[in-house]
Amino acid sequence: MGVLIKQIEYVYPSIKVTNDDLQKEFKDYNFKKFETRIGIKNRYVASKEETALSLAVKAVDKLFSNKKIKKSDIDFLIYCTQSPEYFLPTSACVIQNKCGLPTKIGAFDINLGCSGYTYGLSLAKDVLNGNSIKNVLLVTSETYSKYINKLDRTNRSLFGDAATASLISHSEESDSKEFLFGTDGAGADSLIVKNGCAFPVDLNPKNKTYGSGNVYNDNNLYMDGPGIFNFTTSHIPEFYKNILDENKMSVKNINQVFFHQANKFMLNTLRRKIKVDSDKFYINLQEGGNTVSCTIPIAIKQFFEKNNIIKKQTLLLLGFGVGLSWCGGIIDVEF
Amino acid sequence: MNTEDFLNDLVEELELDNVELNIDFDLRDLDEWDSMAVMIVIGYVSDNFDCNLTGEDLKEVSTVKSLIEIIGNEKFL
Repeated sequence: MGVLIKQIEYVYPSIKVTNDDLQKEFKDYNFKKFETRIGIKNRYVASKEETALSLAVKAVDKLFSNKKIKKSDIDFLIYCTQSPEYFLPTSACVIQNKCGLPTKIGAFDINLGCSGYTYGLSLAKDVLNGNSIKNVLLVTSETYSKYINKLDRTNRSLFGDAATASLISHSEESDSKEFLFGTDGAGADSLIVKNGCAFPVDLNPKNKTYGSGNVYNDNNLYMDGPGIFNFTTSHIPEFYKNILDENKMSVKNINQVFFHQANKFMLNTLRRKIKVDSDKFYINLQEGGNTVSCTIPIAIKQFFEKNNIIKKQTLLLLGFGVGLSWCGGIIDVEF
Repeated sequence: MNTEDFLNDLVEELELDNVELNIDFDLRDLDEWDSMAVMIVIGYVSDNFDCNLTGEDLKEVSTVKSLIEIIGNEKFL
């Protein structure tokens, strides 16, 4: 007995930022080249009133609006975010109430970024295999835009906000497949917001620069792009092979490969390394940019819609990034 | 790899217009030499030389010659 992703819905926040908008702010940079190379045209950012939690609630409401499942049939909620509503309580508890989910459910948060969706699926799989639980709601939501300095052109270009909701259920027809993990906290500084938790937000922060004149301070998101790129190209190809080996499968048994949609250039570099044809390796982040833990579910949903797929698909999913943390596995999807 | 091929590849990968690259050319003088360029070079070197450079390595790069030294002189003809 295995598990199946039965539904995915996603939402973007209200403010659309186009490359033309950014070009007006950063006149010296060539956004046409950026669009071709990195593959991002638009990204969406949360307004002051919108939070990751409010977006998460919208995504969950959208999922139930299809009326394919009743709220009373949900047994468990896993919420993945690095933009929690509060230090405490757990955001998942607030979502349970705001979405009118039953009080009988289990609910918790996981604090992970780009590896968060695949981690969440693995946890959902274990919850489903463990006891009488039949339906798990996996919600991801991220508003990195709130951490990014207005003068940080690189991160403002790459990252977008979004929320997703996925329904993962027991399936008699699907086999159980394995997920694998990887962690290297030595790279924690490569992608980090230093202040705001144990260290309070600095009211007079000292601005610093990185790369080609990007401005940030310790209250902001900082990313060592080349560092992350290097980690990815050196670790992820072998990890991809390990996932196939662990499941005793080859890429022939996979309908489509989905990696975290970090940027087009990185994805193409990885694709060449793992020697997978471009028609089997999904790359499309044109509309929303890098939405952290939301990129994989958005990509799956787009893939199904664009190709009008109704048959069950076996997908290899792999997320990697902040932590450093990576996780991937194989799972069936049928909407 | 032939050094000339390497220079041509760099021009192509970095989409350099109207730039005559030679091994003494200081890459830091390029308008295009930003974090995206660094990523492109890491990707290109990784694809073609079986060698994973880091962002730190690239910070040390000045001329094309210095990039060749970091990749490894023995890999060039």
